[in-house]
Amino acid sequence: MLTERVDASARRQAALDLLTRYVRVVDDARRIGEWPDLFAQEAEYIVVTRENHERGLPVAVVRDDSKDRIADRVTVIREFWGAGGRPEDRHYNEPWPRHVVGPVWAELAASDDVAVGAHFVVYQTVQITESPRLLAIGEYQDIVTFADGEPRFRAKKVILDTPVLQDVFVYPL
Amino acid sequence: MPQRAILWPLEDNRIPREIFTDPDLFRTEMDAVFTGQVWVLVGHEAELPNTGDYKTIAIGSVPVIVVRGAQGRVSVLVNACAHRGTRLVEGPAGNVQRGGFRCIYHMWTYDTDGHLIAVSLPEDFPAEFRKEDYGLPRARVETYRGAIFATFSDETPPLREYLAELTDGLDRVLGEGDLRYLGSIKVVFHTNWKLYVENIYDGYHVTALHTGFQVVRLRSHGGERLVPNYERNGHLWGRSRSTPVEQLTPALRDMSLFDTRTKPTTDHNMMVVFPSGVVTDYFDTIQLRYVAPLALDRTLIEFTFFGRASDSEEILHHRLRQGPQVLGPAGAITLEDAAALERVQLSAVARGENVVLKGTAKRFPPYRHVDEAPIRHFYHAYRRLMGQANAVQEPGDADGAR
Repeated sequence: MLTERVDASARRQAALDLLTRYVRVVDDARRIGEWPDLFAQEAEYIVVTRENHERGLPVAVVRDDSKDRIADRVTVIREFWGAGGRPEDRHYNEPWPRHVVGPVWAELAASDDVAVGAHFVVYQTVQITESPRLLAIGEYQDIVTFADGEPRFRAKKVILDTPVLQDVFVYPL
Repeated sequence: MPQRAILWPLEDNRIPREIFTDPDLFRTEMDAVFTGQVWVLVGHEAELPNTGDYKTIAIGSVPVIVVRGAQGRVSVLVNACAHRGTRLVEGPAGNVQRGGFRCIYHMWTYDTDGHLIAVSLPEDFPAEFRKEDYGLPRARVETYRGAIFATFSDETPPLREYLAELTDGLDRVLGEGDLRYLGSIKVVFHTNWKLYVENIYDGYHVTALHTGFQVVRLRSHGGERLVPNYERNGHLWGRSRSTPVEQLTPALRDMSLFDTRTKPTTDHNMMVVFPSGVVTDYFDTIQLRYVAPLALDRTLIEFTFFGRASDSEEILHHRLRQGPQVLGPAGAITLEDAAALERVQLSAVARGENVVLKGTAKRFPPYRHVDEAPIRHFYHAYRRLMGQANAVQEPGDADGAR
C-alpha cells in the first residue's frame, strides 16, 4: 500500500504542507471551491468557542460534520452569500480574509495519521469600512490522514479564544 | 448642555436616522428604555440548573449577575461592588461556591441575594456603618415558563400583564419550561440595537434579503404578524408556515438545515419581547436571544440554543447541526441580516428618514407575514418610554387612559 511507503518525516511534512495549502485556499475567495478537496471522504470541520468547549456545552459555531456539509459551505458562500453568483449583484460585504498561522506543531499518531496543531489569527479586510478587523483568534486541532497516500484533513477543529465573536463570518476560519 | 431634541415626523411610518447616530440619545435610551418600565429577557432557568450557578449579562449598559440562589430562587444583581464599584464577577458563567461573590479589591463579600455578608478589617469604619446598607442593587425578577425577566423599575406591571397575549406564542416555544440548555454563541453586530430589533418586526425583508430561502425556494405559506400589547409595549409575534423540506429545491447536499422534524407542521414562531428579547422555534431550532447595546453602532447578540428534555439523542443531534448553521454568527440567515443592518447603520449619518411602507394601509395588527408595518409599533413603544410619544393618535394613547 502506498501509505506504507510514506515514511514518518515525509508524512509530517506533508501534513504541514496541507495546512499551508489550506490557508492559501481560504484566504482567496476565488479558490474557495478547492476547500472541500482538502478534506477526506469521512471528515469534519468544526468551529467552537473555548467557552463552550471547556464547559462541555455541545453547541458549535460551525458543525460541518460530513463531506456533504463541507461541500455545502461552498454552496452557501457562492449561491446564498454571493446572491446567485453574479458578481455585479453581490450586495453583501465581500471580505478579504488573511490568516496568520504559527507556531505549528505536528505529532505522529499511533496510526498513520498526523495530529497538527497551530495558533492562528484571522484579520479581515472588508469593503464596508476602512479598518481591517480582527475576526478570530484561536487554535487549530487537526487530524491529517493519508487514505490514498494524499494528505487530507479527517478533522479540523477550530477553537476560538474569544467568547464574543467580533463579526459574523461565512468563509472558513 | 441641554440635549438636542430629535424631531420625529408627524407620520409614524417615518423614522429619523438621527436616532441611530446621536450619542446623547444612546445614553438616554439606556436609562429610559432599559431601566424603564420594561421586562428585559436575561436568560432561561435551564442555563442555571444548580444552586450557585450564575451567568453575566447586561441590561442596557448595566452589567448584572443572574444567579440561582438557595431555595432555587433566581436573582439579578448589579455586577459592581457597593464599595468602589469593582466588577465582582468576570467571565460569562460559573458557580459561586460557598462564600458568595467576593470582591478582589477589599474583599467585600455578598451572598446570592446580594446581601453584604462580610467586609475585611472593618475597624475604624464610621460607627454608623451597617452591612445592611451596602447590598448589591437588585432587579425585580419574574419568570415565565423558565424564561427569566428582570426590571429595574418598580412601576413595571407584573410580567404576565406585560407579556399579554404574547404568552400564547411563548407557550409554544417554551413548553412546560422543560428546556435543555445546549450553549450560547455571542457576536457583535455592527449596528444600532434598535435596527437589530426592528429587523425582526419586518416581514418585508425576508424574501428580499435572504437569498438562501430563494435558492431553495422556501416560501411562507400563510402566517401573520401580531403585535401583542401594541397599545403599551408592542411585542412581536411572527407566525409562519414554510415549505416542507421535501418540496424544496435541494440546493444543498444536506438539507437538514431547513427540515422540521420535531413539530407536526412547519409552523414557526419568531417573537420579540419588547425591548430586547427574542424567542423562536424556527424549524427545529429553539433559541432565545439577548440583545445588549454596547455603543451607538455596536450591539452584542447572544444566541442561546435549547433542546427539550424529552429529545432523543437523534433529535438533539439534529438540533445541534441545524441551529447555529441557520441562526448564529455563521448562520446562513443571520449573515445576511448582519450585512444589511451594518449598511443601514453606516449611512444613517446621511440624516433624512427611514420609511416603513409595506402593509401600512392597516393601522393595527394583525398584519400579513410579509408586512413591515409592525415596525411602527416598536417605535410607538420606544417613544413612549423616551417621552416622545407620537402626535398621531393611537387607540392606546387616545386619552392616555389605557
